[in-house]
Formats: sequence, C-alpha cells, structure tokens
Amino acid sequence: MHEMSLALEVGRLVEQQLSAQPGRLVSVAVEVGDDAGVEPDNLAFCLEAVLAYPPFDGARPVLHRVPGDALRLEYLEVDDGSTDD
Amino acid sequence: MAVRTIEVRERLMAKNDELAGEVRRTLDAAGVPAFNLVSSPGSGKTSLLERTLDRLGKELRIAIITGDVQTQNDADRLARRTDRLVQAVVTGGACHLDALQVLTALDAIDLNSTDLLFVENVGNLVCPASWDLGELAKIVVFSVTEGEDKPLKYPKMFRQARYAVLNKIDLLPYLQFDVDRAVGFAREVNPELEFFMTSSLTGEGMDAWFSFLRRQARASIPA
Repeated sequence: MHEMSLALEVGRLVEQQLSAQPGRLVSVAVEVGDDAGVEPDNLAFCLEAVLAYPPFDGARPVLHRVPGDALRLEYLEVDDGSTDD
Repeated sequence: MAVRTIEVRERLMAKNDELAGEVRRTLDAAGVPAFNLVSSPGSGKTSLLERTLDRLGKELRIAIITGDVQTQNDADRLARRTDRLVQAVVTGGACHLDALQVLTALDAIDLNSTDLLFVENVGNLVCPASWDLGELAKIVVFSVTEGEDKPLKYPKMFRQARYAVLNKIDLLPYLQFDVDRAVGFAREVNPELEFFMTSSLTGEGMDAWFSFLRRQARASIPA
C-alpha cells in the first residue's frame, strides 16, 4: 500500500502549489511509469480518497501512464474564479 | 470560469530522496557503511542478523534499525544478542521504511562508535524497492522455500539490490529448488548481483558473508 504514501505526497505538493497560486482545484495529473512499481488503479483510488477533503474539495485525479519508472506530479488545473474573456 | 493549468513536473520521491541524501552524508561523514536488508516476510532477515551479531558482535560495533508494520519482536530478538541499542521503527500500517524514519532513528545511534549499520526493512518485496533510505547498498534476502522465480516476479527489487543472500540452504535436500536456476533468473534481471548462499541455522556459507562485512567495515574507515 505504498500508493497511499505516494497519494499523501501528492497532497503535500499540491498544497504547496495552492498556497502560492490560490484557486479551486479542479484536477491533479500524475505521471506513472510502467516500471515505477505502482499499481495505477490503486494509486487512483488513494488519490481520490486524499483529494476528497479540504483543501482539495473533490478534485479529479488524472493518471498518465508512460514508459520507464517516472513518478511525478505533472500539473494541476485550478479555477481561479475569474471569468473567461 | 477560467481554468488554468499549472505545470509542476515534480518527482514524488524528491522529498524522500533529499532526506536519503542527508542520511547518506551523515553516514559517510562518520564512515559507517549501511545496508538495507529487504525481502519478503519470513526469508530469514532477523535470523541472519542474529547469527551476524553472534559472530561479529564483539569484533565490529554493529547498529541495527528494524522496521515492522506492528510489534517490536525483531528488535527484541536482536537486542538479546547485543549490548548496543537496536532501534525499532513500527510503521503502523505502512509497507516500507522511508528516509525520514531512518534519519530520525539515527539520532539515537552514536555513529562515531559504530562500524556497521543494518536497516532491516519491512518484509515486502515490492514497496521498499521504491524508497531510498540513504544506504550504501540494498541486500535482497530470499530463501530456498520461496521458489526460483522470485527475481522474475519482483524484478525491481532485484535490480535495485547490489547483493543477494540466498538463505536457508540447509533445507535444499528436502526441496525441489534449483539454485543455478534461481541465480540465473536473478542475473537475468541484474547481471551485477553478488550472491551469498547461507544457512543461518547451521552456519553453512556464513563465513563468506562475515568476510564481506569485515571488508565493508574496514573500507569505510575515513582516511
């Protein structure tokens, strides 16, 4: 179950980003390498659990499978409350 | 609404790796080689360490950090074989040790009077492969009761390890375990892997293991 440790680390990094660039979190994208030793469904489940609570407010996890052993927080999507031009 | 994309591209293991670097610098400065023992549950890590303390405990100042999901049983077993402190880390459900836990455990160890450090990781051949603890090398322990294809089933762990201990070889007469096949599978995954064949019960093969540890302890003495 080290997927839960990874999901918590995603939460920590996202919080860091949100403190610098506030807004309502919409989605969180994580890159998962095929050889990263991570079960993607399990990680998605853990991310959903972590992101369900404030300050994340039900943001959607997006997992991107890639070759190799990459494991990184790729990007966030944030609604900053402004209106589209 | 205006949804912005914030590019991050930060490695999830970056924080752990930073802490592992701190562990490594601390150990290097003190001249202490550290080995991270990893295996599935029941392969004999604790027995291997008991036998090692029995033989080398007077000759080398050996420190041990044990990791278990629950109980301090391994630490208690090892503490009976040494006067030195055995640091127990109970992970409370987590399937691996991380670098912060090792860094914290090091606080209680007098590294200036330590020749060798073992970290006995949580029994698990999957998760501990992903976590650098600041060790000099990972040593993967597997036993002849586990099947020859362990290295093929858990390739990441065998790739990450620099050394392998094939334990419980006293049981070979009673099992259909092909040692050459197991070593072949392991080398298929990691051609550089250096092997020790041991029985912690009878002591067979342990002399090569002890000699290796003596060499490692000597090699790490700062000039």
